[in-house]
Amino acid sequence: MIFPFSAIVGQDDMKLGLILNIIDPSVGGLLIAGEKGTGKSTAVRALAELLPEMEVIKGCRFNCEPGSDGLCTDCKGRLEKGEVLDTESKKMRVVELPLGATEDRVVGTLDVEHAIKHGEKRFEPGILADANRNFLYVDEVNLLEDHIVDLLLDAAAMGVNYVEREGVSFVHPARFILVGTMNPEEGELRPQLLDRFGLSVQIQSIKDKALRAEILRRREEFDLDPEGSSKQWEREQVELSKRITEAKSRLSAIKVPYEILQRIVTLTSQLNVDGHRADIVILKAARALSAFREKEEVEIEEIRDAARLGLGHRLKRSPFEEIKAEREKMEELLSSL
Amino acid sequence: MYFTEFIGHKDAKLSLILNLIDPQIGGVLFVGKRGTGKSTLARAMRVLAPDLPFIELPLNITEDALLGGIDLEETVKRGEKVFQPGILARAHGGVVYIDEVNLLNSGVLDLLLEVQSRGENLIEREGMSLKHPSSFILMASMNPEEGALSPHFLDRFGMCVDFKNPDRAERIRVMKRTLMEGQEGYKRRDEKIRMRIALARELKDEVFISDDLNEKAVELCLGAMVVGHRADITLIKAARAYAAFCGEEEVSERHLLKVLPLVLLHRRRNLEHYEQEHSEPPQREGEKDRKDEREDKEHPQEVRSHGEEFAPSSLDQGGGKEEVFEVGETFRVRRLFLRKDRTERINLGRRTKTRFSGKGGRYVRSVVRKKEKDIALDATLRAAAPWQLLRGGRDSIIIREEDLRFKERERKLKHLVIFVMDGSGSMGAKKRMVETKGAIQSLLLDCYQKRDKVSMVVFRRDRAEVVLPPTSSVELASKRLKELPVGGRTPLGAGLLATYNLIRQMRLKHPETRFLVILVSDGRANQNVSDLRVWEEIERCSISLREMREADYIVVDTEDKSNLLRTDLAFKVASLLEARYFTMPDLRAEGLVQIVAENLSPSS
Repeated sequence: MIFPFSAIVGQDDMKLGLILNIIDPSVGGLLIAGEKGTGKSTAVRALAELLPEMEVIKGCRFNCEPGSDGLCTDCKGRLEKGEVLDTESKKMRVVELPLGATEDRVVGTLDVEHAIKHGEKRFEPGILADANRNFLYVDEVNLLEDHIVDLLLDAAAMGVNYVEREGVSFVHPARFILVGTMNPEEGELRPQLLDRFGLSVQIQSIKDKALRAEILRRREEFDLDPEGSSKQWEREQVELSKRITEAKSRLSAIKVPYEILQRIVTLTSQLNVDGHRADIVILKAARALSAFREKEEVEIEEIRDAARLGLGHRLKRSPFEEIKAEREKMEELLSSL
Repeated sequence: MYFTEFIGHKDAKLSLILNLIDPQIGGVLFVGKRGTGKSTLARAMRVLAPDLPFIELPLNITEDALLGGIDLEETVKRGEKVFQPGILARAHGGVVYIDEVNLLNSGVLDLLLEVQSRGENLIEREGMSLKHPSSFILMASMNPEEGALSPHFLDRFGMCVDFKNPDRAERIRVMKRTLMEGQEGYKRRDEKIRMRIALARELKDEVFISDDLNEKAVELCLGAMVVGHRADITLIKAARAYAAFCGEEEVSERHLLKVLPLVLLHRRRNLEHYEQEHSEPPQREGEKDRKDEREDKEHPQEVRSHGEEFAPSSLDQGGGKEEVFEVGETFRVRRLFLRKDRTERINLGRRTKTRFSGKGGRYVRSVVRKKEKDIALDATLRAAAPWQLLRGGRDSIIIREEDLRFKERERKLKHLVIFVMDGSGSMGAKKRMVETKGAIQSLLLDCYQKRDKVSMVVFRRDRAEVVLPPTSSVELASKRLKELPVGGRTPLGAGLLATYNLIRQMRLKHPETRFLVILVSDGRANQNVSDLRVWEEIERCSISLREMREADYIVVDTEDKSNLLRTDLAFKVASLLEARYFTMPDLRAEGLVQIVAENLSPSS
């Protein structure tokens, strides 16, 4: 039993960040920075219940997308043999990458058992395979070993996992929505990895007494009677999933006026953000947000909310410049929109 | 994504086209900040040359996979060694692309470049000896903020393109394009370019190059002070390819000038201007090429005076005056080399590489003998494969002890860099402290890139204090540095003692850490913390510190060397610690000669 997403009190930015990623996976993931015990992991795990279904090639170990040109080595081989690939529906998942994971478990490796028994090489999929078209969740992402981070970056950049090791050569798609949590006190994240997260939120523990009591109450209720408490939230859960699915289908019809593009660029260039990623992320998040809010076109309001999520972690240019001043500047620019 | 759909970066697009026209140009390296489109464009090469094999080299690659090895299945079946081609064989005649090339294991990069320059792959491994042709266009991209690529590797790339941050119009165009992907029209434009390339390929050998133009090319390269001849050769090839692409019969100066920046960018003083153009605090470790070093040696006398005025207040030893100075200008730090570590350790980091035994780390190659039982199954099976027919196993592979192979992994070792700072009044000469902070800031930048942990000890008045416990947050260290107050006497002994205790503690907790202690002081100790005399105390602590085998020491002397009353006491501390000794100007990359000179003759 998972604690229901709808039952999480407050932390609206975090919840919104996650939802926008379901609506448009190309938004590029979410980094949640905050102190211990603020519900980061609870929210990510609760996400699973809200996730929609997706079409996959039946029997494929990598959730290959029917009709896509980036199929895995297996599916490609089947196509070449002239097989017709059936499809099936599968629910999206949240796949976890534990900190201690070794390289071979992340990218996949030689199937040892098969090799010994049959003297044949076969690829044994790793976590990146499970993560394809799903959420990939890394708790304490800032503590991840350096060479694992490199692999993750590599796969995230390409959207493909190329395995060339131990005599196996295998390619499969690895497009995942990266969700990471971190406690900044424990160390920093490399800027390059930071930039790979589409959105970021900073969360703090809730100070309001009444809200805190409410959290306590809901948690107690759930721990004592998970099923009963889940039932209580069922209606809201169903409603939220429906809203997300509808937003997803409306997404491509949302209009983006030229003025909106100009606003975005003005914003990012005033803040001296590197590259195109910030622009694109804000644009996509704002569009997903408009869809979620059942609007027909993107408005300033969406830009403001999307920019807050899309810029926070891109402000810092070097580890030594004062982040605070930049953050204030951003808030100022946003409120003057 | 179509090639012509890509917005901006004309130079980069041209470099791809020219490499396709003449693969001998030697590939291209894209350098730029994150999110500027480096890898997106590199992958567009697939579209531009759909018939060529396009191989992306994953960072997780092992040597076997790159070079080739024994084909397990076939070897078992036939009872003789059968070669399984590696990536290099598949890439022959095509393109090899490495994203984040500065993160690639340098051993793998070495192998790759060796094959590229030879044009064939010589295999001498796992009892096989054979070769096959392997020529390819090498493409790579990197973000210099993540670490540098040595000039040796840089020079191997025929061309280099700087991906600057996009301007406003470009940003808008890119966003608009994002909203409407996959339009017709581009397909036709791509087709047109492909035809022009094919045509130019045919024509390029016919394009005439006059002697005058050859000379002009040489002049241009000499003028840019490049090392070696690779630039000249590439320049001419590129100009010819460009002329052919323009459909002209003779190379003109216009063609030469057009391709010149592509060829010279990375050969001119290691992309130094890249930093200037991007006018930001330096992000990469300093690596000057040998030529500069030689040049500097010819003018050793003009160093020393770095324009600091005679400052009487620097003699002010006591006083409760307390000040906080701002952080001075940062500069690139010359590389701090450490003894290559041969023992086996567990932590990660980027300064020293080490082979080690635990699981984790990058599996680099397999070896025949090793104490630990981390079996390399792939290599073991390959070793057993040729004997299977003989051993007669059915439905299973028979492995004997002599077949066993073990994994050798490589991990980068984690360092703890301890800054031991003199916070006494004698450091208080304003300009000097500002400069010192600048120096330390630069060292911190270096630590950040190497993923080192840092810690800071400050000694002043009557005690030493660990103001920053070991952390990987360089930002925090930088903040502490800014807040660092100065004033009071100089308890150098206490500083050393605190350092000793810190190392001892850390050694217990993380036995595999290596330590780099950077003592920043003018050495004018005048406060003891025990019954011993000041210098006796320092000597004793130094002996204990020296005996710690996992620590290296560096002393940065902050004394104003132009001052007539200089004492060179910090040098004395450096000799006690058997430390490497630097003065402030030494640490700057341009003061390289002085470091050499001073290490040889301390009194000068």
